[in-house]
Amino acid sequence: MRKNHIKCSLIVLMCIAAVAGGSAFDENLKEVNFVIPKGWPKPVYNLNRNKPTTSGFMLGRKLFFDPMLSRDGSTSCASCHTQFSGFTHVDHNVSHGINGLKGTRNALVLFNLAWNKSFMWDGGVNNLEVQPLGPITSPVEMNNTLENIIKYLDTSINYKTRFYKTYGDSSVTGQRILKALAQFTCMFESYNSKYDKVMRKEQGVEFTTQELNGYKLFRKNCESCHKEPLFTDYSFKNIGLPVDSAYFDIGRMKITGDSGDSLKFKVPTLRNIEVSYPYMHDGRFRSLKQVLNHYSSGTVLSATVAKEMKDGMFFTENEKTDIIAFLLTLSDKEFLLDLRFRNYRD
Amino acid sequence: MFALSYICNALVVTACAKEKDSAFVTVRIYPVFDGMQLILDTENYTNEHGNLLTISLFRFYITHLKLHVTGTSDYVTPEGSHLIDAQDTTTCSFSFSVPLGTFDSVSFVTGVDSADNTSGANSGDLDPAKGMYWAWNSGYIMAKLEGNSAVCKTIHKAFEFHIGGYMPPYNAMRQVNLPLGETITIENGKRSTININADAARWFAHGLDLSVTNSVLIPGRAACEIADNYSGMFSISGSTP
Repeated sequence: MRKNHIKCSLIVLMCIAAVAGGSAFDENLKEVNFVIPKGWPKPVYNLNRNKPTTSGFMLGRKLFFDPMLSRDGSTSCASCHTQFSGFTHVDHNVSHGINGLKGTRNALVLFNLAWNKSFMWDGGVNNLEVQPLGPITSPVEMNNTLENIIKYLDTSINYKTRFYKTYGDSSVTGQRILKALAQFTCMFESYNSKYDKVMRKEQGVEFTTQELNGYKLFRKNCESCHKEPLFTDYSFKNIGLPVDSAYFDIGRMKITGDSGDSLKFKVPTLRNIEVSYPYMHDGRFRSLKQVLNHYSSGTVLSATVAKEMKDGMFFTENEKTDIIAFLLTLSDKEFLLDLRFRNYRD
Repeated sequence: MFALSYICNALVVTACAKEKDSAFVTVRIYPVFDGMQLILDTENYTNEHGNLLTISLFRFYITHLKLHVTGTSDYVTPEGSHLIDAQDTTTCSFSFSVPLGTFDSVSFVTGVDSADNTSGANSGDLDPAKGMYWAWNSGYIMAKLEGNSAVCKTIHKAFEFHIGGYMPPYNAMRQVNLPLGETITIENGKRSTININADAARWFAHGLDLSVTNSVLIPGRAACEIADNYSGMFSISGSTP
């Protein structure tokens, strides 16, 4: 009996020691376990080539929050991608990087990335692993190079230990940095919103009459591009936004060189839309009401405009309110507050 | 312990290689301009159009290296992707083992295939840290030539050609086939060398005028035209059978 008691105490002490040790928040990482929610398509990202592990996830997390990845030590990935807003830069139409320099596009949300067919508003990046190269090298974001980052990481015993744990030896390469970041960011999975729980028929979770009406309107008017369950079909569309002469952003055409792609931008997911304002590629709309006003009456019918815009859609004020009520059911608090994605300065 | 097992492995591999009857071939690339050894930065060169220029950077990928076996099929070498950099001679040669036989030509691709362009972060010479990867429009820069010419109305009178693009119709990969002129017979344990000139002057073929074309930095038609030009820059400068 006494023996058992000592045993138990020892185990408790060991647990405390483990928690208090170098990796203080390992207990939150019990499940570095990528999930394909029931009914979702197969992910596009090949996880077999870069299966997330606890150590890889933690290395990626440290890199994600480290401002030393930027040339002047001021800007990290997390500077413009904060968890509580679905990993975008909330309340910023465009973001600012080093020296306060501004970009030209609204930071995209980061979650369910393994299903993305391409990255960036114009789809210029073709794989999750190479996506960070854009912000790292952009002169108005982190203005750095992978070569410089390798030199910095090579001087850190903390990082070298993490590379050793993750890859079996401590050498730092561009590939390893990028794969670790992908192990962290591919774990940003959002599939526990009220909408998801209603769809899963979880006990006690039901749409209100208003939400249900909004859902019906959504299915009728928005579903063709914002396809469930990811709420995007990953296509590029011109939704008839008047061109902002300050940016004159031609969108997808910049990548393909095809004039048929002029003014087309990626259809963004609508999950967590409540917290990821402002909206559109240049963050021109501050509220969902403004977005619905645009669809209802503000579209410019230029040559490449989407078929849905040509056909036109009109929402009454009540319908707008109902659609917004539905969109708010796409907020996923479990994801937005998931402790695994916090900055632990470990 | 790890070191010991590593040495044991190395011994086993060596032993196997001997049993299989193979020999070593070295491919050595010589960066040249109009057939003369390329000297970066300081040497003045004249291109076909007549522009006076200097070269400061000359890099390109060689991938999918094959040796053609006389009378039969190709031998696909185990070689991966090689980034050849004129300012670092250690990148300009590589060796590999080949089965015994008689070879009469060598073929390779300049550039990086679409699989490697879309598979994420790669390692070795394909590591994006090598500076041969585009951040905003994913894909490898398959070849770079940079330098200066008084005729360029650009900052520091610089010209920059960063050639790449893997999607049709503007795929910048080019297949290169080089007859060896003489056959190389690979005998057991023998080392042979294939010397290949890479002539930067060919980038300016078809009268490319640096006062008009001095900055090609994205995939497209202009990049493909330059890729057409430099796909002809290779020639066998001798082999030691």
